Parts: sequence; structure tokens; C-alpha cells
Amino acid sequence: MGSWLSRKSKFDDTSNTVYLMQMPRGTRVPSLSPFPLKLETYLRMAKISHKSILGFSLSSKGKIPWIRHRGKDVADSQFSIEYLNKEFGVDFNAHLTNEEKAVSRAFLKMVEENLFWVLVCYRWFFMDPKDFGFSKPIPWLWLAYIRRMTRGYAYGHGMGRHSEEEIFHIGKLDLQALSDYLGAKKFLFGDKPSETDCSVFGMLAQFVFSDTKSPYCALIKKEFPNLERYCHTMRDAFWPDWDDVLKKGSS
Amino acid sequence: MRLTFGDTRLLALAAGAIAVGVVLFLNASRKQRKRKKLPYKDESDTVYVVQIPRGKKVPSPSPFPIKLETYLRIAKIPYENVFARKFSSKGKIPWIRHRGKDVPDSQFAIEYLNEQFNVDLEAHLTKEERAMSRAFLKMVEENLYWALACYRFIHDDVRKADYPSVIPTWALLLFGRRIKKYAWGQGMGRHSVEEIFHITKLDFEAISDYLGDKKFLFGDKPCVADCAVFGMLVQVVFNQTYSPHNALIKNEFPNLERFCWTMRNAFWPDWDQILAA
Repeated sequence: MGSWLSRKSKFDDTSNTVYLMQMPRGTRVPSLSPFPLKLETYLRMAKISHKSILGFSLSSKGKIPWIRHRGKDVADSQFSIEYLNKEFGVDFNAHLTNEEKAVSRAFLKMVEENLFWVLVCYRWFFMDPKDFGFSKPIPWLWLAYIRRMTRGYAYGHGMGRHSEEEIFHIGKLDLQALSDYLGAKKFLFGDKPSETDCSVFGMLAQFVFSDTKSPYCALIKKEFPNLERYCHTMRDAFWPDWDDVLKKGSS
Repeated sequence: MRLTFGDTRLLALAAGAIAVGVVLFLNASRKQRKRKKLPYKDESDTVYVVQIPRGKKVPSPSPFPIKLETYLRIAKIPYENVFARKFSSKGKIPWIRHRGKDVPDSQFAIEYLNEQFNVDLEAHLTKEERAMSRAFLKMVEENLYWALACYRFIHDDVRKADYPSVIPTWALLLFGRRIKKYAWGQGMGRHSVEEIFHITKLDFEAISDYLGDKKFLFGDKPCVADCAVFGMLVQVVFNQTYSPHNALIKNEFPNLERFCWTMRNAFWPDWDQILAA
């Protein structure tokens, strides 16, 4: 990409460390975006040596997070995971049957391409900006700009054309599907976590740990408690230093 | 009274605003009059499906009307098509009208009809299967849809795809520009041609692996996810037969083509007559 950041910062392109470019930490969750949280959870699960670089440096695709490894920039969290799987010989779906792999992809896409937009619309259109879990309040000019941009994106996607109640209904159906499929299992596909668990955790953590005043959090606590249980399972397993990360991030 | 320059400017502004207001009012009432002209019989139980006119190779160049119509046929709900370029209150098509009520969005329409006609195509599924059905529905409509739309409208010449002749080329090209803008916001439009093809392949693989040898996604009876998958895959299997996606299905995922034929033979026995009309 040749971002100004990569020229300015001291990446050690000879080491095997994976540099993860992501937004600054939230106050209640290590990332207020599901995708960096998904990617970082994956890196921890795979025990890949990595270093987070907190900021707003966008990838070649104009988004964040992205990674840099041995001088190569990879944009998009899913392409990053596919790249890292190959580089480090990782496959968290190896224990799944072909049908389970198929279902795994279906849930990944439901969460990242549908439930994600429910979260986006809630946060930028309906939530009180004071409830954002950033360490500093978002300046009103930025808020207005991001809201305007998001309205355009959400309208183009389709979710932005629905009412608040309709969006809640769509979110509820997605959460119900996740809850029904998870059931009493530890992870989505049994006792071992798979790749999609990183993504589902990244998304659900937003509702369960950060947007605690949201109707989605209330819904999870009331009707889908196994999703909250699942978030704690993932957090305890792969983020034992959760509180330290949040404390360090706020300093 | 002599008018100052400022007065003239104000007058011009006011005249402009009034002109704009008049045009908007006339346009709105023209739309209202046009809506009233459509052949709805709001006292009957017939469901009116407003969709764009038929293509020559597929009943619709869009996956969502095919999904909706297939659902109506499976559920044996009496319906009538209204072929028109009339967009819903959400600015999209298809939408339905039933007993005077307009329901935009194919999925909300299906949920409404399930309630009105006491239909549940997922009744035979377990809780986990219902969950998987929703996941596949969303993968197809929120991921695969964009990958195929990017191919049709951005990477390839949209005029090669089968579209009803009443839609002029300039409208197709204009729509393509809009899709490009939407796809950028959605995310898919930021990937390269090869990356999007890779994403499409992974989605095809998932559907193919899950379908396996089964007649429908979840066994011998179809559900709403089957309607959505069918609506999407017919665009590749029957519409854009020249595409690399068509070759991919024929070479690597032949059960997807078999599935399309199964759905078509079961629920669209009049496919050829519809297209010939």
C-alpha cells in the first residue's frame, strides 16, 4: 500500500511478527469494531506473534483493520486470515466435516454481512452518542460526518432503508439463529473453537460488553443467555488479559 | 417602486422555489395517479407481486422476484404478477400488495404472507436446521448477491445479461453505476475481480457441500432458503451462461445445476411458456 504510516513506523519486516493496524481501544471492549476483535482473537488462538498498532491508518481498500507481515500488506480481515492460515500452517476448521465447514461459512457471512449492519445502524442512527465506548467523546463534526457517510452506505446496502423496529427484528432473527445453533455447546461446532467463532465473538462482544444499554444486549440477556455465556467463554479462553488491555488502551 | 438588485434576487429565489414546489407536487400526484391505475382488487385474497418484466432466459433478471414467486408457488398462495417499474416505499422491487396493504422487501413480504396464509416452509426443520437455513439465506442474499452483482454490473458488460427489452440500455448502465457506488459502501466493491471470484467460489462451495446429494438444502422438502438459493443460482445457470461462474458450477459444483433443474421442474413447469410469452 505504501501508506505514510508504513514509511514512518518502524516495522521489522525481517521478523515473523504480524503487525495489526487497528483503531484505538474501546473502554469496555478491546475494539469497537467486530473485525479487529475477530482478527486479534484469531491471532491469539493461533498463537501467532503479533503487535497491534493503534491508529486510523486505512488499508489500500480504505478500511481498517489490516495487517503487515514481512513487508507485505494484506487488507480485509478475512483475506488476512486466509493469508495467515497459509503462512503459519493454521487451520481452525480442520476438525470440521464438509457440511460443518459450509455451515461455518454461512454463519460467518450472516454475522459479517447482515448482523454487522444491524450493529452499524443501531450505533450511528439510534444510539445515544454518549454510550459509545471510546475513551473520548466523538467530536460532533466527526459524528455528523460519519453519520452522513454511514447513512449512504447503509442505504446502498439495504439495511438503512428499514425502520428501527424492522432492523431490531432482523437482528433478533440473526441472534436467534446463532443461539439456536450454539445451543449448549462450548463453541459453535463443539469443544474446539473454529475460525467463525472469532467472528461471532467479535460481533457479539460489541452488544454484550460494550453496548450494554442497547435493546440487543437486553434481548441477549433475556432470551439468548447462551450467547452471553459464549462471549465469556471466548473472553476467558483467549483474552485472559482483557482488563489489562483495556486499562493500557485508555492510558 | 424601484426594485433593488437585492429585491430582484429575492424574487428570483422565490420564483425558483415555487417552480420546484410545483414540479415536485405534480410529480407526486402523477405517481399517485399511476399507482391508482394498477389492477389491484383489494377485496380479494390475491397477492399482487410488483416486479420488473420477464426476461427471455429467466423469469426475472433479479434473484429476489424469483425467490418470492417460487415461495408463492410452493405455498400455493394465489398471486398475480404486476409487471411494472414501480418501486416500493423503500425504493426497491419486488414488493407485494395484499388486501390494500403494501409490503416492500421480499423477506418481509414472505414473513407477512406466512402470517396471513398460515404458512411455514420451515415447519419440518429442527431448531438447528432453521438456524442454518437463516445463515444460508443471509450468505446468499448479503454476500453472494454482491459478488454476482459486481461481476454483472462492474466487471462485465451488463448488456450481455438477459434483461427485459422494455428496460433501455441507458437505464441499465445508470443502474450499474449505482450498484458500483452501493458495492463500495457495502464492501464487496473494494475487492479486485480475482478476489470477488474467490469469494463467489467459496460461497458456491459452501452451498454445494451442504446440499450434497440431497434434493433440497434440508432434505426432501424445500424451504425459504431454497427459494433464495434458486433465485440467485438461476442467474448463473440459466441467465449468464457465458460467465466464468457458470463454468465453475459446471466443472466443480454440478449439484448446484442439478438443484436448479430440480427446483425449476418442480415449481416452474411453465418456465418455457412464461419466457415465450
